[in-house]
Amino acid sequence: MTAPALLSVRGVVKRFPGVTALGGVDFDVRAGEVHCLLGQNGAGKSTLIKVLSGAHRPDEGEIRWRGEVVSFSGPTAAMRSGVAAIYQELDLVAGLSVADNVFLGHELSTAGFTHRSEARRRTRALLDRLGHPDISPDRDVGRLSVAHQQIVSMARALSLDGQLLIMDEPSAVLDPDEVRVLFGIIRELTAQGVAVVYISHRLAEIREIGDRVTVLKDGRTVATGLDAREVRTPELIGMMTGRVLENVFPQRKPVDPAAPEVLCVRGLTDGDRFAEVDLTVHAGEVVGLAGLVGSGRSEILETIYGARKSAGGTVEVDGRRLRRGSVGAAVRAGMGLCPEERKSQGLLLDQAVYRNITVSSLSAFASFGFLDDRAERDRARGLTEALDVRPAGVERVVRGLSGGNQQKVVLARWLLRECRVLLLDEPTRGVDVGARSEIYELVRELADSGVAVVIVSSEVEEVLGLADRVLVVREGRVVHEGPADEIDESRVLDLVMEGHAA
Amino acid sequence: MQHKRLTLLATALTLGVALTACTGNTPQDTGGGNQGGGVRVANDEPGEKVVIGFSAPAADHGWMAAITNAAKAEAGKYSDVELRVVEGTNDVNLQISQVETFINDKVDAIVLLPFDGAALTPVALKAMKAGITVINVDREFDSPFAARSTVLGDNYGMGVSAGTYVCEKLNGKSDAVVAEIAGIDSLPLTQDRSKGFADALSGCGLKVSNRVAAEFTVESGERAAANLLQAAPKIDAIWNHDDDQGVGVAAAVKNSGRGEFFMVGGAGSANVMREIQADNGPHKATVIYPSTQGADGIRLARLAVQNKSLGDLVEVEVPRQVQLYAPVVTKDNVDRYLPTAFES
Amino acid sequence: MSEDTAAAVAKEKAPAVKESGLSALLGSAAGRNTGLVVALVLLCLGGVVTAGDRFADVDNLLTILRLAAVIGVVSVGMTFVITGGGIDLSVGAIVALSSVWATTLATQGLANDIHWIVIVLTALLVGGACGLVNGVLIAYGKVVAFIATLASLAAARGLAEIISNRKTQIVNVPGFTAFFDASVLGVPVLVVIFAVVAAGGWVLLNRTTFGRRTFAVGGNPEAARLAGIDVRRHTVMLYSLLGLCCGLAAVMLIARTTTGSATHGGLYELDAIAAVVIGGTLLTGGRGTIAGTVFGVLIFTTLSNVFTLNNLSISAQAVAKGAIIVVAVLLQQRLARRSGA
Repeated sequence: MTAPALLSVRGVVKRFPGVTALGGVDFDVRAGEVHCLLGQNGAGKSTLIKVLSGAHRPDEGEIRWRGEVVSFSGPTAAMRSGVAAIYQELDLVAGLSVADNVFLGHELSTAGFTHRSEARRRTRALLDRLGHPDISPDRDVGRLSVAHQQIVSMARALSLDGQLLIMDEPSAVLDPDEVRVLFGIIRELTAQGVAVVYISHRLAEIREIGDRVTVLKDGRTVATGLDAREVRTPELIGMMTGRVLENVFPQRKPVDPAAPEVLCVRGLTDGDRFAEVDLTVHAGEVVGLAGLVGSGRSEILETIYGARKSAGGTVEVDGRRLRRGSVGAAVRAGMGLCPEERKSQGLLLDQAVYRNITVSSLSAFASFGFLDDRAERDRARGLTEALDVRPAGVERVVRGLSGGNQQKVVLARWLLRECRVLLLDEPTRGVDVGARSEIYELVRELADSGVAVVIVSSEVEEVLGLADRVLVVREGRVVHEGPADEIDESRVLDLVMEGHAA
Repeated sequence: MQHKRLTLLATALTLGVALTACTGNTPQDTGGGNQGGGVRVANDEPGEKVVIGFSAPAADHGWMAAITNAAKAEAGKYSDVELRVVEGTNDVNLQISQVETFINDKVDAIVLLPFDGAALTPVALKAMKAGITVINVDREFDSPFAARSTVLGDNYGMGVSAGTYVCEKLNGKSDAVVAEIAGIDSLPLTQDRSKGFADALSGCGLKVSNRVAAEFTVESGERAAANLLQAAPKIDAIWNHDDDQGVGVAAAVKNSGRGEFFMVGGAGSANVMREIQADNGPHKATVIYPSTQGADGIRLARLAVQNKSLGDLVEVEVPRQVQLYAPVVTKDNVDRYLPTAFES
Repeated sequence: MSEDTAAAVAKEKAPAVKESGLSALLGSAAGRNTGLVVALVLLCLGGVVTAGDRFADVDNLLTILRLAAVIGVVSVGMTFVITGGGIDLSVGAIVALSSVWATTLATQGLANDIHWIVIVLTALLVGGACGLVNGVLIAYGKVVAFIATLASLAAARGLAEIISNRKTQIVNVPGFTAFFDASVLGVPVLVVIFAVVAAGGWVLLNRTTFGRRTFAVGGNPEAARLAGIDVRRHTVMLYSLLGLCCGLAAVMLIARTTTGSATHGGLYELDAIAAVVIGGTLLTGGRGTIAGTVFGVLIFTTLSNVFTLNNLSISAQAVAKGAIIVVAVLLQQRLARRSGA
């Protein structure tokens, strides 16, 4: 197979303020193939799609389309050239008809008047080509099933004579039967010479539909052109996770087997995202939850904390059962949460550092409801100095701090309360390497002082490095539980992805 | 000063004076020098300087706008009157503070058309106590001590005038269909107008067959009239309480293409009067609710302060109360009323 | 204040040195309000230049303050709701309903039999209850504040019209009128009430846990919730507080007019929101200042007074008012950008 590349990507770099999302990506896509992109969360897949489809412009490198260097001015320009992306969140407009959606942005028109019957006729033809004559071009898109909406998205992608379709985790929203139908369509299209860039976490799918595989890690290509059916799973996972575990994690102390159970969760169910979760954390222990985005791990944490209503099960702290769905009860019992979305869920961005720290402990500084402002600042100053929050100054507005320092402010809030149970959701997201190890140290110190810690992270490495015990969550169920030093990263990834073999 | 005020009160009379009708006694003054009141006495000669404060509700209706404009115009005719007009408001709190400002300024007289008569009573009392002559216009205070003199329109009289005219015009037609488009139904003034209308109609054996209510606005007039025309396939006469809402009523009539009836207006706007004059529309008459009440208030204030009497009266003091007449305007007499009519 | 009863409470109490904290806060408040002080001074200068002694006169000052008192009390309450991330369009209607309910023949009968304070309590109760309903609808019913209070606006004024039969109800309770007509050391009681409410509001917003939670809830409700604050309960308290302020404003209006009426409080929602916003409180919540609001109220009432003294029309005043609002908001944005940079 020496067919000339339809699309050729060389040395593409994309930077955002503060981060390099893509640090050098190379790969080729041939006409008529299904080319799979693999990588962990944050490896740069989404950015790459946006660069290919014209939504972002690369800072460096070149993209050749049919042999010529191109620079798309936007998604519509890319579509006109024959490159179209189908995003995870389908970008259709509910309330408009199928035909309207297919031609949205490039309406068939003369002097501003749309040719509705022509649009309908062509939509009909596209849907036939996709094997779905059952979808009427006049239907309201909002009333279609998710699977049918995806078909409409594909019709839209093909409406300008698409030669390359980029599909971002199309199977995530489909049930197994629908996935089978989708694969049938993809095979038809490739037989017609259309190329597909297919992104999925599910290795089984990649083996079934893919021709070749490119692996991304930290915004770079680590391998490209692998045969999708031949390459071995451990090899792929090794490439995805890459780095040898660097020893940035603090030394664990063995957990005292006689330490009391501080947090005890039994049969926790929310009736939607997860069910029958059991979890016990002893004083001084760090328990890690590993799982994919959407596996229910964050929901489990929020439900333990009372921020989401549970449908069944119990949460006990120090043997006392907490009222369901009450953050107040959890906080009073000594629980604290560092939420996943630090800015939107954790911080009062436009308020002073000290106010963010004392917000959960106001009563401690009040007599008859009157606050002792001075005492607040003094205590907050002590904590920020101990945590080395930079730049110093408790009057400073939190918005101006870096991600790592913002996270320290949230941690300081719970340190101030001397909480018994600390729940950490993605504690190092958006935090640079230096601050990361400081946060790891802090978590370890807290545990050593007797706090029970639960940590959720997309980075398996982090979970394994920090936790004493690991729970693997898949589709809302705990599928594995055991000591962290008895399991390795690829085994965790295997467990996490296993069920995705549809 | 204090003594004089008491004497004034003690000798005060309550009179119903057909002030507008008085103008008929003298030849119409076309010079515009002092239109409306035709009495030629020493009263118009400049006297001691009089500072008058004037406050009225927001001009959200053509009639209300005309009140303030007529008052200003009237004050402008007298070299010895200094008028201070404050912005119209429907917030009693603000209107009270305006009157307080007049008191602080020690004006000689205040002409006050209160948004709410009762709510402005305390501050009017305060002004009277401070020795200021308060002239109450249109909406009455609830204390007789709150004003030196009160100028009122005649709502019941409006209904009587309109009903009497309808009776004459229908001339004994006993099965005639008479319709009525009222204003805001819950207001006492609307109830008074309707009662007068019904009373006058019963005098000639007629009654109101269809009655709808609007809200003194063009848009509500159109809606009410459209409903009325739908409800009654044949009508002989319609009385509409208010010429401002009448603009909407006329639009609805025009849209319906109906012309079997004649209309009588209310309040007396200039555009209805022009229609009567030209005799080219459904309006054959309108009854006046004088928009010159504020202007009359200015005159009374000036006379009271200057200690003069009211023209043709024998009485030497300004009367305690003046109730204005509600005349019927027809093609025959419209020329007399058009100059003082308000533009809606 | 039932939180923090758990064992994990910071034990050590820092020494209470409030003086320096107070002066710092006052200093920063004055700094933030420089623009408003300048605007007010300019307006007063305008008054002196155009009206001379008629403006610069104790009686005139009291006239301005009496006018400011009623809307001022509503605006202080509004500051809390807006700082807490909400909005209330029903304040004028609540003032009307409270004024009507507190002046029905039945209420007045009770007041004459027992004590005139019955009128005050009725108004406060009605106002507080309306606020409570608003708060519950918004916090627990999850109705958007704009819509919920728009509905209350219509309903409360309608109810006021039904109760009063659209008639003005005159108060005949001598003790009540005498009390509110009096002066304390030459300052009218209404103005004293406004001063007390403003001072109390400042302390509540800047010195108490309630105030601090208000900032948190308005700044980021989700973060406040996850920090352990009962956001819904706090929201209900904010609207109830504003309702109480409306009830008090109704009492003041009853005293000033000796009437209760369904037409009272017309468009107070707009006057109050305008005063709060030009005072520097963010409409999106999280930042609020009572001092600014008081300045905002004084600017509008002084403007109204200067226009009255100069015989200028309502239309010109409306234009000036609009211009002041736009300038204030532009200035606020400019300052916000500078502090953000």
